[in-house]
Amino acid sequence: MAGRDRAAPRRGTIGAETFAFLWRASPVQWIAPHWRPRVAVALVTLAALVFPVLHRNDADIDSAANALAYAALALGLNIVVGFAGLLDLGYAAFFAIGAYTYGAFASFQIEPSWSPFWQPFEALGLVAHIGDVVHFTVSFWLMLPVSALVAALFGVLFGAPTLRLKGDYLAIVTLGFGEIVPIVARNTPSVTNGAMGLNGVAAPQLFGWSFGVDATPYYYVGVALVAVLIFASGRLKSSRIGRAWMAIREDEIAAAAMGVNRVKFKLLAFAIGAAFAGATGTYFVAKLQTATPEMFMFPVSVMILVMIVFGGIGSIWGVVVGALILQMLQSWFLQDLSQWLHALGRLLDVQWLQQIELVQSIEMIFGLILVTMMLYRRQGLIPATRNVRALTMAEQTAQVELAAPPPVERLRGDFTYCGPDPLLAINDLTVRFGGLVALRAVALTVPARSVVAVIGPNGSGKSTLFNAVTGLVTPESGSVQFAGYPIERLPPHVVLGRGMARTFQNIRLFPNLTVLENVMIGMHARLHAGVPGALLHLPRTRREEAEAREHCREILALFGNRLTPRADHVVSSLSYANRRRVEIARALASSPKLLLLDEPTAGMNPAETLELAGQIKSLHGHGLSIVLIEHKLDVVVSLADNVVVLDHGEKIAEGPPDVVRRNEEVIRAYLGRSASLGNAPQESAPRGSAAIA
Amino acid sequence: MTTEALYLQQIINGLSLGAMYALLALGFTLVYGILELINFAHFNVFMVASFIGMWALELLGLSGQGVILTGFALVGALAFGFVVTMVLAGLLGVAVERIALRPMRAVRGTAAMITTIGVSYILFNAVLLTVGADSKNYPNPMPDMHWDIGGATLRLREVLIWGVALVLMAGLHLFVNRTRLGKAMRATAQDAEAARMMGIDVDRVIITAFFLGSALAGAAALIFGLYYNYTSFIIGYSAGLRAFTAAVLGGIGSVTGAMVGGILIGLIEALGGQIVSVRWDDVIIFSILVLVLVFAPSGLFGRPSATRS
Repeated sequence: MAGRDRAAPRRGTIGAETFAFLWRASPVQWIAPHWRPRVAVALVTLAALVFPVLHRNDADIDSAANALAYAALALGLNIVVGFAGLLDLGYAAFFAIGAYTYGAFASFQIEPSWSPFWQPFEALGLVAHIGDVVHFTVSFWLMLPVSALVAALFGVLFGAPTLRLKGDYLAIVTLGFGEIVPIVARNTPSVTNGAMGLNGVAAPQLFGWSFGVDATPYYYVGVALVAVLIFASGRLKSSRIGRAWMAIREDEIAAAAMGVNRVKFKLLAFAIGAAFAGATGTYFVAKLQTATPEMFMFPVSVMILVMIVFGGIGSIWGVVVGALILQMLQSWFLQDLSQWLHALGRLLDVQWLQQIELVQSIEMIFGLILVTMMLYRRQGLIPATRNVRALTMAEQTAQVELAAPPPVERLRGDFTYCGPDPLLAINDLTVRFGGLVALRAVALTVPARSVVAVIGPNGSGKSTLFNAVTGLVTPESGSVQFAGYPIERLPPHVVLGRGMARTFQNIRLFPNLTVLENVMIGMHARLHAGVPGALLHLPRTRREEAEAREHCREILALFGNRLTPRADHVVSSLSYANRRRVEIARALASSPKLLLLDEPTAGMNPAETLELAGQIKSLHGHGLSIVLIEHKLDVVVSLADNVVVLDHGEKIAEGPPDVVRRNEEVIRAYLGRSASLGNAPQESAPRGSAAIA
Repeated sequence: MTTEALYLQQIINGLSLGAMYALLALGFTLVYGILELINFAHFNVFMVASFIGMWALELLGLSGQGVILTGFALVGALAFGFVVTMVLAGLLGVAVERIALRPMRAVRGTAAMITTIGVSYILFNAVLLTVGADSKNYPNPMPDMHWDIGGATLRLREVLIWGVALVLMAGLHLFVNRTRLGKAMRATAQDAEAARMMGIDVDRVIITAFFLGSALAGAAALIFGLYYNYTSFIIGYSAGLRAFTAAVLGGIGSVTGAMVGGILIGLIEALGGQIVSVRWDDVIIFSILVLVLVFAPSGLFGRPSATRS
């Protein structure tokens, strides 16, 4: 298992040296590092397969089969909560939908009277003609995917209204749906038999042999189900889809700006998470051969949530382990412990010890686990993000190497726009926030292969201009044309797809993802892998992923040895300047024709500023057009072909840099009225004076 | 009973339920207004408080509906019950904030809300495991005084419930709008960071919000016991969800909204049970919750803040 071979060296708290010693002495060292995960998976699989053979206790195998169902549910909830960051408090509803879907088509619950209409279904073996009624006998194996599909449809149905909601409100709405589903089930006894529970759900059959009530075959189906879901979760997580989900989880706005269609991918997460639960519901109800609404109420949703919190939100092996441990605790350990306490009570002749029933306190334990994990170990037992070896002192203080020539051949074609229209043409753009006019009738043209700088005092509307152009803010009036097509009403991810990428003034990276993952998300719109491609690793998808990785590494190399050695580091551990570089790299990964940089050198020292200015210049040399918001006028002068000055939302000047910097109105806007008369003390406006100097 | 009388009776019942939900909703709204946190622990602070109230009344020698008090003795006993329940419930709320929520304040996202679910579970099971699963007969010293109004019955307990709720809500209104600490609360609700920079002790404001909200939940809990003559470990969830729906309907974060929303939910529950069926009560309430959140997240009186910017 992936978790085990990482566990030892990471613990830095108690007995770290003991751990380190045991780790070095352990047999794990005999196995080559890249083989360890496979060996671990093989061992776990083997253990799971031989368990019922070695341990021939039907009740224990039954508990294990139930535990596997909850592991499958935890995997499904993990897609929604762990990957996409959408807290679902009513997840058991999909479990219920899957269960009742199978229940409806494989029990004595619904029995319409016989008519010739059913003849073809009988021929297919889906229904049986008993007396003068129809009896549904749809196969368990057919119903597994069908239930998953039905649950997925409900996932989309329940997910759609929540798309605009903030995290906690989303949770409440899902809780509402989660409560409504079992109540509807209870109150529609014609389909569900209400609180009495479904009648005679058919056991699965395999080649004519019925599973019956023996736990072992169910156990093996459960193992297979969990194995398939682990596999699917892993494949999805490491694909374009998983990256899009994690981007939404980390920063929704940035995800949209980097080309992720939020609506589509959130609904996809709901649908796939629900599908997992739907299949599991079918498995569970087939095993139990009945279903009551109480099996799907709020406490069940909370229990699954506790499992993934305990195991590690977002961590595939973590949630499986979390679910198994908590289920085993419930069905084995607490019972044993109660027995031991009873025995102790008899021994000591203490009455209350003999009456303790710890199983009843399982919800108390859930509550304690939830609070303790949240307060002291939010990443769970097996965290989703693994720690990467820190750079050595030598690597950290390494001489900055910038000379590495960028792979010109690869990048050139991507960046260049050669149409007849100006690349970007903004006309009469007005943006209003309530009573405040943030931009008033601004016009701006960016010819292909040019660098335009937008300057102006704080609050003059520069960032709003970027937001309006990239679709994050809807302008009140005016037009924005990109490469000849209007884009002012397009959502951000479409704007990125058209070839315009941006950075943010206050850096919006995906903080818990690595440098490489961040940059890979920038490529989202240029890749095509869908769910089948991600799951099956089709050759096309594999090639696409490998090329994307290669391309992203090339882009990282544009910054010399600044980012390349840190490719696998989580971006929140990076220095401020490096985070700015990652954000630019992420934007470049989308192969934009136009790059919008919002104060790229803010917070950098003079040497770093110079370095970045040089890199921007070389990008421009590759044919990339750039719009730059910048306060440091020396950067502006060295890069820009044209400068636009905004003040209070209006364009007050435009022209080549050295003309604009002498413009009276510009100086007044920056330094105030008196400065333009030539008698302002320099100290009165430190930022402006530094900029103008 | 005539149909009109039946509806009038349900309106009387609805107003009583509504008064209780309004008091409980205020706790959600006070905390949400300041921390933007949906506090699931509130459900079971309410439940625990109903037991505190029961024990407080039993301390006075009252048990079941056997002992009936009148005049000053009745007023005194109830005043004692309310004060003890509200203070202890308030302290319980403060303890929850102090132990489980303050360390989570810097954590972004839904982690704090998940923690409150855990706290709620702990309170729930602490009562279940110590007090037991059977429901408890609630001491109720009120005489069986009632008036006939158009065929419907108005009982003394209803008048009393309305009176207590009105006094508490008026008091809260004055506190929030007329006191220094109330002003600090409103400022913190607008912008906690700015409030802190203006010298407001934000920790104190948060503690106050938890204390007041939980104390009002304490009052609601005692009202629950006196109204239904029982309490049990399970009462938190359904009453809490109705009160939360009330807070959302009124506009979460708005004190007026919580009061109006509470009354509305009480009326909807009473009349809905009459018109549709009690079996669909929960579905009606949850549907209101979902519909308001999805289509009008700022509710009747709230600020628009439920959707992402």
